[in-house]
Amino acid sequence: MAALIRSVSKCHSFLHNSVLLQVTRGAKTMANVELTLDVKRRIDLTRQQALLGGGQRRIDVQHKKGKLTARERINLLVDEDSFVEYDMFLEHNCADFGMDKQKYPGDSVVTGRGLIHGRTVFLFSQDFTVFGGSLSGAHAKKVCKIMDQAMLVGAPVIGLNDSGGARIQEGVESLAGYADIFQRNVESSGVIPQISMIMGPCAGGAVYSPALTDFTFMVKDTSYLFITGPDVVKSVTNEDVTQEELGGAKTHTSVSGVAHKAFDNDVDALLNLREFYNFLPLNNKEPAPIRVCEDPWDRLVPGLDTVVPLESTAAYDMHDVITGVIDEQEFFEIMPNYARNLIVGFARMNGRSVGIVGNQPKVAAGCLDINASVKGARFVRFCDAFNIPIITFVDVPGFLPGTSQEYGGIIRHGAKLLYAFAEATVPKVTIITRKAYGGAYDVMSSKHLRGDINYAWPTAEVAVMGAKGAVSIIFRGSKNQQDQEAEYVEKFANPFPAAVRGFVDDIIEPRTTRMRINQDLSVLSDKKLSNPWKKHSNMPL
Amino acid sequence: MAASMRFHGCKTTIQEALQQYAKAAGSSHPLLKRTIYTTMKLYDREQYWNDRCKPDEAKFNKVLIANRGEIACRVINTCRRLGIKTVAVHSEADSLAVHTRSADEAVCIGPAPSSESYLRMDKILQAIKDTGAEAVHPGYGFLSENTTFAAKLQEMGVAFVGPNSESIKAMGDKIESKRIAEKAGVNLIPGFDGAVRDADHCLELANQIGYPVMIKASAGGGGKGMRIARNDQEARTSFRLCTEEAKSSFGDDRMLIEKYIENPRHIEIQVLCDKHGNSLYLHERECSIQRRNQKVIEEAPSTFLDEETRKAMGEQACRLANAVGYDSAGTVEFLVDKNKNFYFLEMNTRLQVEHPITEMITGVDIVHQMLRTAKGHRLMHSQKDIPIEGWAIECRVYAEDPFKNFGMPSIGRLSRYVEPSHIENTRCDSGIMEGSEISIYYDPMICKLVTYGRDRDAACKTMIKSLDSYVIKGVTHNIPLLRDILTESRFVKGDISTNYLPEVFPDGFKGKQLSMTEKQELAAMACAIYLKDEDRASNYVNQKRCLLVVVLRFSKQVSLIFCSAHYSV
Repeated sequence: MAALIRSVSKCHSFLHNSVLLQVTRGAKTMANVELTLDVKRRIDLTRQQALLGGGQRRIDVQHKKGKLTARERINLLVDEDSFVEYDMFLEHNCADFGMDKQKYPGDSVVTGRGLIHGRTVFLFSQDFTVFGGSLSGAHAKKVCKIMDQAMLVGAPVIGLNDSGGARIQEGVESLAGYADIFQRNVESSGVIPQISMIMGPCAGGAVYSPALTDFTFMVKDTSYLFITGPDVVKSVTNEDVTQEELGGAKTHTSVSGVAHKAFDNDVDALLNLREFYNFLPLNNKEPAPIRVCEDPWDRLVPGLDTVVPLESTAAYDMHDVITGVIDEQEFFEIMPNYARNLIVGFARMNGRSVGIVGNQPKVAAGCLDINASVKGARFVRFCDAFNIPIITFVDVPGFLPGTSQEYGGIIRHGAKLLYAFAEATVPKVTIITRKAYGGAYDVMSSKHLRGDINYAWPTAEVAVMGAKGAVSIIFRGSKNQQDQEAEYVEKFANPFPAAVRGFVDDIIEPRTTRMRINQDLSVLSDKKLSNPWKKHSNMPL
Repeated sequence: MAASMRFHGCKTTIQEALQQYAKAAGSSHPLLKRTIYTTMKLYDREQYWNDRCKPDEAKFNKVLIANRGEIACRVINTCRRLGIKTVAVHSEADSLAVHTRSADEAVCIGPAPSSESYLRMDKILQAIKDTGAEAVHPGYGFLSENTTFAAKLQEMGVAFVGPNSESIKAMGDKIESKRIAEKAGVNLIPGFDGAVRDADHCLELANQIGYPVMIKASAGGGGKGMRIARNDQEARTSFRLCTEEAKSSFGDDRMLIEKYIENPRHIEIQVLCDKHGNSLYLHERECSIQRRNQKVIEEAPSTFLDEETRKAMGEQACRLANAVGYDSAGTVEFLVDKNKNFYFLEMNTRLQVEHPITEMITGVDIVHQMLRTAKGHRLMHSQKDIPIEGWAIECRVYAEDPFKNFGMPSIGRLSRYVEPSHIENTRCDSGIMEGSEISIYYDPMICKLVTYGRDRDAACKTMIKSLDSYVIKGVTHNIPLLRDILTESRFVKGDISTNYLPEVFPDGFKGKQLSMTEKQELAAMACAIYLKDEDRASNYVNQKRCLLVVVLRFSKQVSLIFCSAHYSV
């Protein structure tokens, strides 16, 4: 609202000056003056119309649903007074079904660029008050324009989605619009970060744009994502399901893994998005952002010495390790409720953005399964694409056995995580806190997958498998299993076997972990490593 | 917070440097003998400025501490100061605990539950044999008042750093202890000397004594099997209920009856005796602020006692100690009514939790004196050498939720933990550190926070500062309650009794109630933090396109909702 008043008053003073100027020129030009003044007035009026979107009544309805309008959202997301709008006057050109009588300047989306903590961002915010935010040809054109500009200058794109779907009146024009956006999503992928924030409905083909972007966030209770709604589901598969169950924030953040995080409301979501944005570089050629850090880089963390229980089967929370090591305990976790046996998220080390990957011994003993592998792989690939160093905390007893996993294709999906770590050329620091068993040891950013620095804590055990299983194979049919188990534990349940082979670079005191990682990252900031030329890799999708 | 982290980091280096220096120079400077952690600044005096011993007297070579947590650390500190080797015993859960790490030797004595570790006499005796410890300090709780344990040690020829088993036994039984006290001329609460026979007997006695009366189990403790009766009917039901409770809880249904003192203060006298018949009293501790019969805040001296009462109480306490042949540190508990009449309650034959406040005002290291008397040395103080210098307050910082019944235990891992021990005149007796786990197995006490000052006001002020500076994250703690009491008007005036908490907080503790100004201050603070955070967030080192930041920074508008009020800044 403040912005609106400000821009209107600017216009007034401009008009006032020009009137003074015009009056001095005599009557001959009076008609001309009238015309110019009229144009100014029209500009003024259209601007005001555009600012009001679908009108006050629809804005009130939007508010009643607990949602903000497209413009309010932008104002919250970007730094004050930094938003520059594009295409405020663009209108749809559909003449069918009486659409030519219903035109709104700017149509159903607000586009432009702004700053988040001083750094450029391009964004579009769908306006539910105009035709339910539906996607018309004009809508798509506006979105594509800012996406093209973003690619041109190398700045991220944020989409605030709140749309009922395609503009049915426009038919194929609308579909073409979707495809134009998809194509740009794909071309931008890995070049500039793309973030989608779902703040209302997003159904049908529209869902594929968020799905193609790097991160999809949702707002609890007000946002939905699905290919087909509950009615169609009922008629096709005869399932009774509510909108919330089918595609609400809870479903997508804990069951399907489509969304990366959910927030309580619009304000919470947008403020968190600002915070999240600070972790990302503007494009794939820029380094991970470093900001001034007030947490001493060499701070010792005595609490880490006791975090791993002495009993090797007892669980602990890997979050304690992560928050102990990173700057100011500030951890932006990605997918906190999905595949909780693997933790991924962003943090800072001495001010530099880093990606954190860690097995979570508290959930399913921290083993890798299909969901965890896919979650980890996508995150690692993002970090690698955007020059964000990866720190991996390993406590993994192996891959999850069972028919459901094998039938679900754990081989194919597990390979994704392996592929992602192996392919990554960004600095990779790995800390083995406890177990690193079997194939899962190899996968978790091991030395063999070009890990730059690999450390073991004194509690680390790097082995092919646990003592029980190993003994039953090595000493098959033997009677004194207990003694042999003890022998195996003595030999392998410690960091020495890996350390003597150089598979870990050092065995470190847990309290020094933060200091060591910071030293390494500082050295590795000049790391130069590239993969052989290829059109693109053929990752096991 | 960053500053304290840095401080934390450099502590070890200072300590290491000092140790190296000590080794190189062979110096015997007292500072070099103790850890920096426990060195408390008491204005410009030593912590134990009035501690006495003969410089060349015999000492134990090695002491085993049959306890855990803060009290084990407390004993280890004194031993280390004296150059006595220490042995810690620990359960599996405590393998990385502070007391385990700070002792010279550590022996694991079993799994986490106390009944399988710290209460296992056989395991501890074995540990004593294996390590060759010459004495055992039992701390408080666990085996500290176990006569069998004391007797077994005597059999082995190992010193028990505590009183002889006869006096533990004599004082452990409530009926027995009252008889001895009566003989020694100690004031007793009017009541019946002996067990109540049945309900009718109970009624008869109640009428003799006069209502209100207290009916309690002979073997009771901790508020169990204890009831107040104000008339015949209540007396009858209370007797029945208490008998049942006592039978199921203690397996002993002998009942006592006595006058109930209304709104009493709980004041106790610290005594110190040796094997040569000398006894001293180290003045009183005021322990009235309690919840469910557990102390929360203690102070020494008491605001209530005059010199005359203090002397009378002290002398009676010493008489009692002499009567049982007491030969170590102990505490005689009294109830004091509003007319300064005092009545003997019981004697605790161990080192009390709250002993540090007495140490602060008298300058005596009680643990050291216990070790000396156990070794057979004479006390070197006479009563006139025991002053009351200044004022000390102790707050028991617990891992518990004060909003529920003034404290329900809370467990978890201390993700951040910074003690306020850098503040002058503050002493933190704790047995945990950052990363420690507060478990269900043991007492949830985090720390005994003791502050000292020239007068009560100064000690209170330091306490407030210390409570405000304490950083505890990961568990719920009772600092909000402690902090509230410290500034509550009745406490400030010293007008307290054992009913203080239920009287001041009749509906339970509701947390700090903010005044309008405080709300505004908090709102302003929140804004300042937010803006500082925003400012920092724009402060990149390696990002090129940040030109407009400087201009925009000053045009921030912040509005926040707090306590359902809107603020615009």
